[in-house]
Amino acid sequence: MTEPKLAPLHVPSRTTTLANGMRVVAHEDTSSPIVAVHLMYRAGSADERPGRTGLAHLLEHLMFEGSQHAPKGQFDDLLERAGGTNNGSTWLDRTNYFETVPSNAVELALWLERDRMAHFLPVLGEEMLELQRGVVINERRQSYDSRPYGMADERLHEMLFPEGHAYSWPTIGYMADLEAITLEDARTFYQTYYTAGNAVLVFAGDISPQRAFELAERYFGDLPAGPRIPRIARMGSLPAAPRVRRETMEDDVSFPRLYQAWTVPAYGDAEWVALDVLAFLLADGESSRLQKALVRDGRIAQDVDSYLYPTARCGVFGIVATARSGIPAEAMESAVRRALDEVAAGGVTEDEVLGAVRRVRRDHVAEMATVEERADALAYAATVLGRAEALGEMMDAYGEVTADDVRRVAARYLGAGRAATLVVVPGAEEEVEDAA
Amino acid sequence: MPLDPMPAVMPQPVLGPPPAPRAPHPERWTLPNGLRVIAAHRPGLPQLVIRLTLPAGSVADPPALPGTASLVSSLLTEGTQRLSADELNARLDMLGAAVHASVGHDFTDVEGIFLSDTLAEGIALFAEIVTRPAFPADETERVRAEALDALVARLDEPANVADDRTTLEAFGPEHPYALPSFGTPEGIAAVTREEMAAFHALHYQPRGAFVVVAGDYEPAELRASLETAFADWQGDVPLPVYPPVPPAPRAAGRTVLVPWEDAAQSEIRVAGIGLDRHSPDWIAAGVTNYILGGSTITGRLGANLREDKGWTYGARSAFSAGLAPGGWAAETAVDVEVTAGAVREILAEMRRMTEEPVPEAELRRAKDALVLSLPRAFETPGRIASRLATLEAYDLPRDYWETFPAQVEKVTADDVLRLAREHFDPARVVTVVVGAGIEG
Repeated sequence: MTEPKLAPLHVPSRTTTLANGMRVVAHEDTSSPIVAVHLMYRAGSADERPGRTGLAHLLEHLMFEGSQHAPKGQFDDLLERAGGTNNGSTWLDRTNYFETVPSNAVELALWLERDRMAHFLPVLGEEMLELQRGVVINERRQSYDSRPYGMADERLHEMLFPEGHAYSWPTIGYMADLEAITLEDARTFYQTYYTAGNAVLVFAGDISPQRAFELAERYFGDLPAGPRIPRIARMGSLPAAPRVRRETMEDDVSFPRLYQAWTVPAYGDAEWVALDVLAFLLADGESSRLQKALVRDGRIAQDVDSYLYPTARCGVFGIVATARSGIPAEAMESAVRRALDEVAAGGVTEDEVLGAVRRVRRDHVAEMATVEERADALAYAATVLGRAEALGEMMDAYGEVTADDVRRVAARYLGAGRAATLVVVPGAEEEVEDAA
Repeated sequence: MPLDPMPAVMPQPVLGPPPAPRAPHPERWTLPNGLRVIAAHRPGLPQLVIRLTLPAGSVADPPALPGTASLVSSLLTEGTQRLSADELNARLDMLGAAVHASVGHDFTDVEGIFLSDTLAEGIALFAEIVTRPAFPADETERVRAEALDALVARLDEPANVADDRTTLEAFGPEHPYALPSFGTPEGIAAVTREEMAAFHALHYQPRGAFVVVAGDYEPAELRASLETAFADWQGDVPLPVYPPVPPAPRAAGRTVLVPWEDAAQSEIRVAGIGLDRHSPDWIAAGVTNYILGGSTITGRLGANLREDKGWTYGARSAFSAGLAPGGWAAETAVDVEVTAGAVREILAEMRRMTEEPVPEAELRRAKDALVLSLPRAFETPGRIASRLATLEAYDLPRDYWETFPAQVEKVTADDVLRLAREHFDPARVVTVVVGAGIEG
């Protein structure tokens, strides 16, 4: 029986650049009468400095508190009335703001984004900062401090990266830093990064590229370029070993959990694609290697997952597993090690790779089902890789990955000596307020 | 750097007329065995979603064995009468397919996602999984042990403890809606393989169930594949029986505190009895709830607790759909120090809805938000399948989405006041707090 080839997946787009340097990407899809407008700034938590972590994300919150001509409350109100949704998010390398609106309301989204790109500073004040500081501190408590295992990722990144590295601190920020951020910090970050020349604007949905480009020019063409921000530099060489190899942390949880992470090549690298296939081959699907070794056959874990960050300075490969009752984390760690060593020793078949590639593709298709998600993917490629078209090239690259590629990246990057290993065990939750 | 001149102020754009939502017009047919099929062809991405819905949720659990429906659904993909679990999973993974079952109170849903060019084999495997699971002893015991561990881990999270306690307080211990649909440790530990097989034999039947397909497929191939795959499946699903829902929570008007040592936040829930999905008031209740807490930032709860006070990351409320009257609940998580104040503010916002008619502009805004957002509801195969399944499951009119805007438009400020009095009266709801700080 011949296996079907990989189904194609393309997100066709056109790009233009305004005189002020703003890049504008248009992807037309007329199947629903909606348009996603996506504005991505090349600024994330990695652009913060120690002592002011959490600034990029706190500024994102402030950006929803109104601008000069759309005062507080209007942003959500106007968009909701028009049947639109909106949100923003902050991550290591970028911050994004996005609206999905019925096709008649595209200009409303642009007008609101223009107003906060051009007329935000006059409304940025102490009262607004204090209020959103409170909201973000609650977000930190809700999503990290009071969540089981909620502090593990933060610690894992501190262990994995050299001290002071831009990926070593959490996007949400340390509690002490959140308390310390000043109005001047927010103003400076905004003036530095929230400019036309540092932004990518994507339109995806029921709009022609020609109209998208005209509207971009009308709403953003007259704005100043802003200071020149260099492209994100990739790490010259990956660290040979993590800063801290191994640690145990107590938390108010019922089962031990194992976290391991490795630094790997950055998003856009051919080896990154092979590592992504490896992540699926290891833990996506019941027949995958770690599901079998830890959960189904080994019966030492309740769950196991693997992931790969699409980050720009370098990538991060991770494996997380939760123990079954009475099983120590060390048993899971040995089983993970055995599985990685087998892959590195060449125990992978081309069929296994084909299945993993198909599962990647299934997820890609699902992830790109909405115009909002397609706009995000295009904006990310334009921001991090420099070109929106690089997205399609990466999609195609999955079809080229061989068993030998997977073996090679496992051997090269996922060795025992390069792993940061954090074990969370049941116990008393550690005091988090002093973590910074 | 030289100071840039202030950019020009542009007038706020005036919007043209909104586009009409394009509700899907699916094909409907019935297989010879009585299984209804609803298929929405949606070319574009090379994927299809197939979703089988059976009226066999946790309400159908044997009374002493809560968790039976859930365990049965988890075991569907653990081996069939033809394929071992390993063989089945290797095949699904090779196709890049995903098959997952989920159990709610009213229904069990089995969903398969396939790449379009694997449709024929995908549907054959899907049918085999649904109709001929083998419940192998070894896999059954593993899945049971995993389910028991997962229940323990779940209670490490205060939000889950709050949710579970809230449904219990709202419905009282006798109603099946009071329990989580995944069951209890006692039920999961006790149910035997034979009882699971018997549950499957009784409830997994074609007549009374339906399949929704959405995505990119060849219509003729889909018809032929479904017909062949389900040809040997014969029988009727028994209708679930519901005990009466209490008119109000037993502890209505009171606050239940579940202490949580060293809580960083308090999880707050306020809950009462809502309405069934068939109720003629369902749409008006949706408008009423939207004003209070349908939108986590701009609803009255979010505007007060987040935007005005900065006490929380968000606050919202919702009615749950059910064949029997479901629940209504508001939820938030706040700083421990402001717990008592937050409870007071939530109840005050609810009371205000029962006392003052909603201003016309606020009502207009809620209606616009609900109606004009419709085009997004039909954007993806998954969302289309979900909307179509809702119509079929609750036996709603086929033109439901076409008439939805007019139904929303008919809702008046008096309707909102009446529904708020029925559901938001602080005397008719119970408050649950997991955390601390309630004394303040």
